[in-house]
Amino acid sequence: MRHAAKVMRAEALKQHRQIFGSKLVLFSMLVWPLLKLAETYYTLRPLAATPGIAERWPLAADPERLLAFLATGALGFTFFFSLVQSAWHFSIERQTGTLELLFLSPANRLAVVVANGFAALVQNAWLFACFAVAMFTLLDVVNVAHPAMYAVVFLAMLVPAVAWGAFLNSVLIFSRDAAFLYTLLDDPMWFASGVRLPVFALPGWIRAIGSVLPLTGSLAVVRGALLDGQGIGDLAGELAGLTVLSGVLLLAAVGALRLGEARAQRTGQLRLF
Amino acid sequence: MSVAWATLRRSWLVTRRAYPWSYFIGTLLLGVFTIGLAYLGLRAVAGGEISAEFRGKAGTGDYLGYIAVGAAAYMFVVHGILWTGKAMIQEQREGTMGALIVAPARRLPYLLGFSAFAFTAVAVEVAVLFGCAALFGVRLAPTGAADAVLAVAGLALAVFGMSAVLSNVMIVAGEAHIAQNSVFHAIALLSGFTFPREYLPEAFRWLGEAVPVTAAMDVIRGVFTGGTGLDPGRLAVAVALGLAYTAAGFLAMPWAERRAMERSY
Repeated sequence: MRHAAKVMRAEALKQHRQIFGSKLVLFSMLVWPLLKLAETYYTLRPLAATPGIAERWPLAADPERLLAFLATGALGFTFFFSLVQSAWHFSIERQTGTLELLFLSPANRLAVVVANGFAALVQNAWLFACFAVAMFTLLDVVNVAHPAMYAVVFLAMLVPAVAWGAFLNSVLIFSRDAAFLYTLLDDPMWFASGVRLPVFALPGWIRAIGSVLPLTGSLAVVRGALLDGQGIGDLAGELAGLTVLSGVLLLAAVGALRLGEARAQRTGQLRLF
Repeated sequence: MSVAWATLRRSWLVTRRAYPWSYFIGTLLLGVFTIGLAYLGLRAVAGGEISAEFRGKAGTGDYLGYIAVGAAAYMFVVHGILWTGKAMIQEQREGTMGALIVAPARRLPYLLGFSAFAFTAVAVEVAVLFGCAALFGVRLAPTGAADAVLAVAGLALAVFGMSAVLSNVMIVAGEAHIAQNSVFHAIALLSGFTFPREYLPEAFRWLGEAVPVTAAMDVIRGVFTGGTGLDPGRLAVAVALGLAYTAAGFLAMPWAERRAMERSY
C-alpha cells in the first residue's frame, strides 16, 4: 500500500509539472467547456421551445433545467475526456524516451496507470466541477432525495472514471498511434453517451454502443439523483451496472498491461514512435 | 507567384504521402455528429417541428439544413486555420523557420500558397461532409452560383486574415494547442455556425462582430439557408475585416519572427 501511495504521489507530481505548469491550462479546464456548454444550449434551444415538448421531454420545457441537463453532461464529459487526454500523454513519454525507463523501474504497473488517470482527473476536472456546483445552486435546479445522494453522485463519477482511465492508459501506453484512438474517443463518446441529448432520442444501436461506455451509466446516476430526485433504490440497476463495468475495466487493464509488457520485452517496441 | 505555386505543390506532395487522417476524421466526425445530433433532436425531442422563435431569427424553418451548412462552414474555417495559421509554427517545430526567413521568398505568396492548398483540400473534405449530410435528407439550395462563389470567397478571406494574425501569436508564444482551440471554441459560439446569433446576449453579439468570420457567415446564411441572396453590406464588412486582419498580421509578422528566433537561441 505504501508502495502504491509513493507511485501515486510521484505520478501526480509529474503530471502537475508536465501539464499544469502554465496558467494557460485554465483555458482547457474551464473556458473551453463553458463555451461548448453555451454553444450546445443555444443549438438545442430551437428544439426545446416547440409545442408539446412537456409531453415528449418534460425537463426541456424549462430552459434552466435544460441548461442543468447539458451542464451535467458537460461535467461528465470533462471527467471522462480528461482521462482520454492523460492516456494520450503517454505518447510524449514514448517520444522523450522515458517510457522504457518506466517499465525498467520497480513501480507496480497497475498503480502507475491508476495513479496517472486519477491525478489527471483531479487536476483537470476540479475547476469545472466547482463551476457546475455554483451554477446548479444559482439556477436552483437540484432536487435530491437525501443529502447522502451527493456522495453517491460523486462516487458514480469517480470510480468508473478511474477504472476507465486505467483501462485506456493500459491500452494506449503500448500504442504507437495514440492520436487515432484519441480522435476516435472524442466525438463518438459524447454522442453515444447522451451528453447532449437524452438517451431516449438515440436509436437502439447507438444506445447499445453507449451502454459499454461508463460515462453513460455515470450520467444516468448523476441526472437521476440531482435533477429527478431519485434515491438509491431507483438507481440500483445503474449503480450495479457501473460497479460491474468498473470491475471489468480494471481486470481488462491488468490483462492489457501483462500482454503489452510481455510483447514489448519480445519486440523492444517501447522505443519506437 | 512562383513562391505561392511552389508552396502549393510542396504541400500537396507532402500531404499525399503522409495525409493526417486523424485530423480529417476528427473534424469530419465533429461535423457528422453535429448534424446527427440535430437530426435525432428534431425527430425525438422536437417531434419534427421547429420553434417559431427559430424561424423568426434564422429566416428559415429548415433546421437540419441550417445546422448542416453551419457544420460545413465550421469545418472549412477550422481546417483553413489549421493548415494556413499553423504553417509558420510547423516550420519552427521542424527547424526550418530560420531557412525560410533568410530565403528571398516573401511571406504573402508563401501563405497564399498554403491557403490555396488548404482551400482545395478543405473543398474535398466539405464535399465528403455534405455527402454524409445528404444521407440525413439535407439538400443544398443556394440562391445562385455567383452568390455561392462570392459567399465562399468572403469566408476564405476571413479565414486567411485570421490565420495571418494567429500565425504570429503561435510563433511568439511557441504554442499552438491553446491558441487554436480557444479561437475555435470562441467562434463556434460567437459567429453563428449552429444557431442564429440573435439568441446571444447583446454584448456577445457585438463581440462576434470583431471576428471576420461572423460577417462572412451572415453572407453564407443569406445565400445557402435564408434564401435572401447575397447581402452586399455584410460581404463588404467581411472583406474589410478580412483585409484589416491580413494587414495587421503581415505588419506584425517581422516582429513576431524576430521574437520567435530570439526565443529559439
